[in-house]
Amino acid sequence: MSEAGAAAAHDAHAEHHELGFIRTYIFSTDHKMIGRQFMFASILMLIVGGLLAMMMRWELAWPETAVPFTSWISEPFMYPADEDSTVGAVEGLSEFVDPFPGANFAKSLGSVGGAHMDPAFYNSVFTMHATIMIFFVVMPFMVGGFGNFLIPLMIGAGDMAFPILNMLSFWTAVPATIMIVYSFFVEGGAAAGGWTMYATLSADPTLSGVDTGADLWVISLLILGVSSLMGAINYITTVVNMRAPGMTWFRMPLVIWSLFVTAILLLLALPVLTAALGMLLFDRTMGTSFFMPGGGGEPILWQHLFWFFGHPEVYILVLPAMGVTSDILSTFSRKPIFGYKAMAFSMIALAFLSWIVWGHHMFVSGMNPVLGTAFMLTTMVIAVPSAIKTFNWLGTLWGGNIRFTSPMLFALGFVSNFVIGGLSGIYMASTPVDIFIHDTYFIVAHFHYVVAGIIFGMFAALYYWFPKIFGRMMNETLGKVHFALTYIFFNCAFFPMHFLGVAGHMRRIYNPLQYEFLHDIQWWNVFITMSAFCLGLSQLIFFVNFIWSLIAGKKADKNPWEANTLEWTAPSPPGHGNFETTPTVYRGPYEYSSPLVKEDWLPQDRKLGPEVVTASQ
Amino acid sequence: MMQWLPEDVSPYGGSIDALFYFIYYITAAAFILVTALMIIFLYQYRRDDSRRAVYTHGHTGLELVWTIIPALVFIGLGLASKSIWEEVKLNVPETDVEIRVTGKQFNWEVLYPGPDKEFETDDDYQVDNDIHVPVGKPVRVFLGSKDVIHSLFMPNLRFKQDMLPGRQIEAWFQANKAGTYEVPCAELCGFGHSGMKGTLYVDTPEDYAAWYDKRWPPAETNGGDASAAETTEEVLAGGAVMDAETMPEPEAEPAATEEEAESAMEGAADSAAQEATE
Amino acid sequence: MPRGSALAAGLPASQLSTHETPEALVAVPGYGGGPPPPSIPQPPVSNARMGMLMLIGAETMFFAGLIGAYVVFRFGSPVWPSGHLYLPVGITWVNTGFLLFSCYTMWKAMRCIKADQQQPFVRWLAITVLLGSIFLGVQGFEWVQLVHDGLTISAGMYGATFYTLIGCHGLHVLAAVLWLGIVLLQARRGKFSQQRAIGVEICSMYWYYVGAVWVVLFPLVYLN
Ligand code: HEM
Ligand SMILES: [Cu+2]
Ligand SMILES: [Cu+2]
Repeated sequence: MSEAGAAAAHDAHAEHHELGFIRTYIFSTDHKMIGRQFMFASILMLIVGGLLAMMMRWELAWPETAVPFTSWISEPFMYPADEDSTVGAVEGLSEFVDPFPGANFAKSLGSVGGAHMDPAFYNSVFTMHATIMIFFVVMPFMVGGFGNFLIPLMIGAGDMAFPILNMLSFWTAVPATIMIVYSFFVEGGAAAGGWTMYATLSADPTLSGVDTGADLWVISLLILGVSSLMGAINYITTVVNMRAPGMTWFRMPLVIWSLFVTAILLLLALPVLTAALGMLLFDRTMGTSFFMPGGGGEPILWQHLFWFFGHPEVYILVLPAMGVTSDILSTFSRKPIFGYKAMAFSMIALAFLSWIVWGHHMFVSGMNPVLGTAFMLTTMVIAVPSAIKTFNWLGTLWGGNIRFTSPMLFALGFVSNFVIGGLSGIYMASTPVDIFIHDTYFIVAHFHYVVAGIIFGMFAALYYWFPKIFGRMMNETLGKVHFALTYIFFNCAFFPMHFLGVAGHMRRIYNPLQYEFLHDIQWWNVFITMSAFCLGLSQLIFFVNFIWSLIAGKKADKNPWEANTLEWTAPSPPGHGNFETTPTVYRGPYEYSSPLVKEDWLPQDRKLGPEVVTASQ
Repeated sequence: MMQWLPEDVSPYGGSIDALFYFIYYITAAAFILVTALMIIFLYQYRRDDSRRAVYTHGHTGLELVWTIIPALVFIGLGLASKSIWEEVKLNVPETDVEIRVTGKQFNWEVLYPGPDKEFETDDDYQVDNDIHVPVGKPVRVFLGSKDVIHSLFMPNLRFKQDMLPGRQIEAWFQANKAGTYEVPCAELCGFGHSGMKGTLYVDTPEDYAAWYDKRWPPAETNGGDASAAETTEEVLAGGAVMDAETMPEPEAEPAATEEEAESAMEGAADSAAQEATE
Repeated sequence: MPRGSALAAGLPASQLSTHETPEALVAVPGYGGGPPPPSIPQPPVSNARMGMLMLIGAETMFFAGLIGAYVVFRFGSPVWPSGHLYLPVGITWVNTGFLLFSCYTMWKAMRCIKADQQQPFVRWLAITVLLGSIFLGVQGFEWVQLVHDGLTISAGMYGATFYTLIGCHGLHVLAAVLWLGIVLLQARRGKFSQQRAIGVEICSMYWYYVGAVWVVLFPLVYLN
């Protein structure tokens, strides 16, 4: 460990006993507490984002009927409903509804505090759903939460390189979060241009009818950019400079590799978004016209800038989940990860390639068709590292001694979803096919398999590291039930979206029945909605388990999963400064079932006795 | 899965669909392979305390195999896609049927050049949401937008193209089967996006001629400049009988515009639309 | 040292599944046994410097986004007035001189503290702050004039790109001047020494960077 790192760990240790409540729980500079703060904040936002999704799904299954439990939302977002606007009463709708067993139940629900959704509000709802899920759930949970918690622990450092910067990173994310939620309550409602905020719709308030809400959206993401920047600087510096003795680059766990690569992408991608958002804000408020053709601007420039940031962004989202999955698969297969270097290098390759594929979001945007071909080819190339990762995960399972714990199940679920999401990406990468499926539910299916699939990675990580984070075990039985229901309903909810897309069902519409050619497939919408509700309800099991385990879970040992990496050598939960003494690392992170020892795990910091060492020389 | 792809009536749609199915078979095979292996491994190598896991860190040969095979498949797919893409985008056939479609919140404004085949002349005919084209003939379409980005989507023609304000994009399509088809907007364009759609009338030669002659009666088209205005009026009057809603110049009469907006949104978004205009 | 899948290259997986310890395996450092590699030496780039480099990288992407947009508009428009038409290029040449000279004085200050010469160190720092402030002052004056002449941010693409690019740079200079001002106060209280100069050093890195961005922006915006 570097001297600076050692000193930091030491200082933190010395201060330990004097910290009051505020310094311990609120303005904490301890990476573990900051990680927990990020986790709790994003779990709260997960609930918000999930409820928004439920509203959308109701609207899509039974368009223009009263949405239950929404009458508390004021006009002009929701309008009071009368008796004959519930599902059963709306004329012509029964044809699409009646074949379903749950439909009668739905019919009765609509009259429980039901209200009508305004189409403009529907646009706000999906915009905010996506924004919240991407920027305020997946990013803070995986990068902010687990990045913070795991990096110092897994590389054997006492804390982050810049603890105060770390605290600031969280406390800058808080106003951004408050602002995005608050934007629902301002005049005109929240941003309604989609999470991609395409100009010109987004650049001129009169075109969308949303004024302050969209400004707040922009400002919130600008602030979040600052928070991410601080986080990224911290993570990179920590990984480069503060590894414990013996922790060489290729002895780092893959989850650290993934967070490191993610941090680099964050560092370089977010500022591009910041620049674009700045111009958008000027267009909206200062009378410039960067994206308004009237004043010589280019609407398509926004798309280029946005996706130049946007594609690296999707890897920012998915890489940590990939890293988590690699670690968990290896641990519970009791087997070294298959092709460690290939895994690390494929993440690096993804990071590099993600900068040159952005045009695949713009095949029908009016971009030069020749450029389209170029972007298609680069996109085909970026699919290769994804394939490598998948096969290496399979290779890890092969010959293992597999323990089906709940983190393992969620990690397997992530792999299974990633396979589907990756394969559906290939359809869209093919330019001619994308002409048809662009902006349809096929895209929605694709990115839910990858991005919402990350939720499986999140759960895997949470179930796996919960003992380390909170010092207690989660309930395994509830965890397994949670997994089974989540897995089934996830697939029921998202797989049929491929069928809708193939039938031409556009995304971002609030009433599919306005289109005759979609009438025949409306029953899929009903099916999806019911699956989505079940998916939502299944999460209650998680919340029960989570809260109950926090309070009354079984106390966790240091190393409940018999895992190798350094965090498991620290107490559960680790105190200030993490380790009693700085660990020394003797080997890679995945020495499971090593023939050198009797047990089937061999921690990274375990010094083998002289007889084994001699045998090796 | 297949029966859900909407009927294809375009010249190049066959290639697109074939490519789609080709990818479908490849991805289905990959999916089955991976899933089957996963299930087999999970079963075969489930926990058994009398056994130890295989201690291996990988196998370079195997890893090379599963790097190179997907790479070759993807490159093949890329090349196949490239040629079809060029067929669609770059080989624009010659044609004398031209129209202009301009997106505006929340209608398609369709402009026909009339007998002189020139846009922005007196004999142009402009209407909202009705696209008439002859069956089996390539149509050149100039796409633009008045306000935000829209996207002209004709599912049965495998056609989709964004329309950018401030820019005219040239594209083409051809419908090989007479009938009427819905033309939704595929790009979020505001609160009335859902329900923004027009109708594509693919007319048989007779129907097309009948429609055409109604608008531009053959006798009048030879007339000089002086009669041109008259002709247009007559055309408008004639059209009004046939299709009362969509005929009048939308720009001239706000009442008509509102009516159209309402009908296009099928009453769904109208409350919102009215509010916004108030 | 061969690590990673190098192992597998030599040994087919089937041979590795045995329970005994294959000799060859044990000899591969990094996996089974082998002594730990020597502990990682003092990192070549210290935390603070590393963090600053990272910030500079991010800022570069930020300016790349803005400059990219500028280039699209600049070279995409049929007509684009030359900078000489609107902007006081002459004064700005002089102002550029101030900024570049301030980089030199910053460097001098660094040299002094490295040689533990407190007095000249503080003096050079003060000159640097002064030069930076002059640069800002001249810019501000220039802007007042421009707005007076009708070139506002909403007066078309020319004004919009000008104020956005130059304004963003100006904000960076402002931040740098404020930061250096604080460093100067600390320096007067003798906070820095030969051994303890990191606070000045990272500030100087930022200072040079802000100068370097100007070297790109000035020709791009003013001189064509
Ligand atoms: C095998 C690798 C992948 C390929 C070939 C691929 C391909 C594509 C393509 C071509 C599109 C644009 C489709 C369109 O708009 O018409 C797209 C959209 C998208 N992809 Fe992927 N993708 C891959 C992996 C991922 C991953 C790993 C993620 C995220 C973690 C992801 C997230 C998304 C999202 C969020 C969108 C939709 C953006 C929007 O329009 O709102 N993709 N993908
Ligand atoms: Cu992408
Ligand atoms: Cu639209």
